[in-house]
Amino acid sequence: MEAVSLESVTKVFRHRPALFNWLGTERSGATRAVERVTLRADAGQVLALLGPNGSGKTTLFRLIATMLLPDEGRILVGDTEAVVHTQAVRRKVGFAVASERSFFPRLTARENLAFFASLEEVPKAIRSSRIEEVLEIAELSSNADTLVQKFSSGMYQRLGISRALLKRPSVLLLDEPTRSLDPGAAEHLWKWVRDFGIKRSTVLIATHNFEEASAVADSVAVLSKGVLLSRKSLSGRIGVDELRSFYFEQVDGARHWERSVHADR
Amino acid sequence: MLIDKLVAVARRDLLTTVRYRGGLLVHIAGMLADIAGAYFLARAIGSGFRPDGVDYFSFLLVGTGVAQMLLVAISTFVLAIQEAQVTGTMEVLMTTSTRPFVIVLLGATSAFMGRVVSLALYLSVGVFVFRAPVQHPNLLTFLIVLVLAIATSVALGILAAAVQIILQKGSAVVWLFGSVVWLFSGVIFPVGVLPQPFRAVAEAIPVTHAMNGLRMALLRGASLTDVAGPVLVLCGFALVLVPASLWAFSAALNHGRRAGTLSFY
Repeated sequence: MEAVSLESVTKVFRHRPALFNWLGTERSGATRAVERVTLRADAGQVLALLGPNGSGKTTLFRLIATMLLPDEGRILVGDTEAVVHTQAVRRKVGFAVASERSFFPRLTARENLAFFASLEEVPKAIRSSRIEEVLEIAELSSNADTLVQKFSSGMYQRLGISRALLKRPSVLLLDEPTRSLDPGAAEHLWKWVRDFGIKRSTVLIATHNFEEASAVADSVAVLSKGVLLSRKSLSGRIGVDELRSFYFEQVDGARHWERSVHADR
Repeated sequence: MLIDKLVAVARRDLLTTVRYRGGLLVHIAGMLADIAGAYFLARAIGSGFRPDGVDYFSFLLVGTGVAQMLLVAISTFVLAIQEAQVTGTMEVLMTTSTRPFVIVLLGATSAFMGRVVSLALYLSVGVFVFRAPVQHPNLLTFLIVLVLAIATSVALGILAAAVQIILQKGSAVVWLFGSVVWLFSGVIFPVGVLPQPFRAVAEAIPVTHAMNGLRMALLRGASLTDVAGPVLVLCGFALVLVPASLWAFSAALNHGRRAGTLSFY
């Protein structure tokens, strides 16, 4: 288990119009997806990121997973800096991406996992048992030999979680993990995340679901427009309604503040 | 570990190819049609035309077979990146415990193994079914030139993949290169019939030298000493292009990570 630290991390996406933007309809400029975010998830902790669409939750995950390079700031997984020791961080971080179709459609679930297990350098001697283990966690054992092109959205999502677990990551990133799951499967996953977080890994979970955050997280961080608004410990296990109120207080407060700043100008 | 990963990549590609049953049959039918086309073209032109002193059907068989193998293999890189971008596997693959350039090289090796099998089938059908006159082929020389041809083509494929990542238009590079090869590299007519300035262009294309060396080895039984010229030129191309392409690919990946465009297509 290792802590994850973000120190004043900024990520800006720049939009440049095409070379021949004759119609002049393409927007140029920059989107500040993450703005000087400083955040820490302690080892073994489950941290939920809450925030409206476009608040920067997935961008933060992609930065931690080394899919993106930050413009400013430092990202540490344990003592390892993500920008400098990219490959070392990749060995530690498992990312269950929200994208459904990030698999090879003409391979079965088991074949897909075997392929990724090889790239993740899971030792050959334990590969089969590891694949069985992660299939079981995601309740996909009975569909292990089905071509994934026949999978439903929820099955894709569960397979994504299985893939992230193959290397037994010390940090697990779950991006809206129950978005396409039925309530039973979601409950199963929440229970497992709590156990997994305590036993093996630091878990960061991006979600819009207050019930989910309340069920699994030790603490929540609220983001809006790339800015970290606040952080709250859930150690006393607060209820869903209380969490919802807290969230809207933060997000609405930020909107009011933004409006008043614009009005003053 | 590397062999294990190569097996995993080759297995993925083989299973995917075999499971596109229709595609495999169409590929075989297309190959037979190409050979038949070359056969009847050579018959129409007549036995008096002997480019570089060899039978024209054999000349065409090696020219079209090798050109298709190299061009399809080069395009495989771009197609693999495009497919990974469309399906969403791109970012996942680039953040596993295996270095991205290793994944690309393994994918290339697997693709080329498939293309070499196709070439062997293509030449065998030409020789044994359509009776292309091949006398005393020097298979060792053929294999050495083939390996060098593959090395330079791998580099060109990786360069095209880098263009695909940065501009999302790698297929245009492959199309342009394909057109240049068909015109300048002596695929269906000898380079000697080109005007002098065009011959200089032909000399600058590795495929021209590969074609020359492979024809000499297969159709005239040339020894390694006989093909020393093409072999040295191909070695030179490989020494420059392979590291340059790996550097370009790594730079393209970093650009994609900085701009957040890795999965754009």
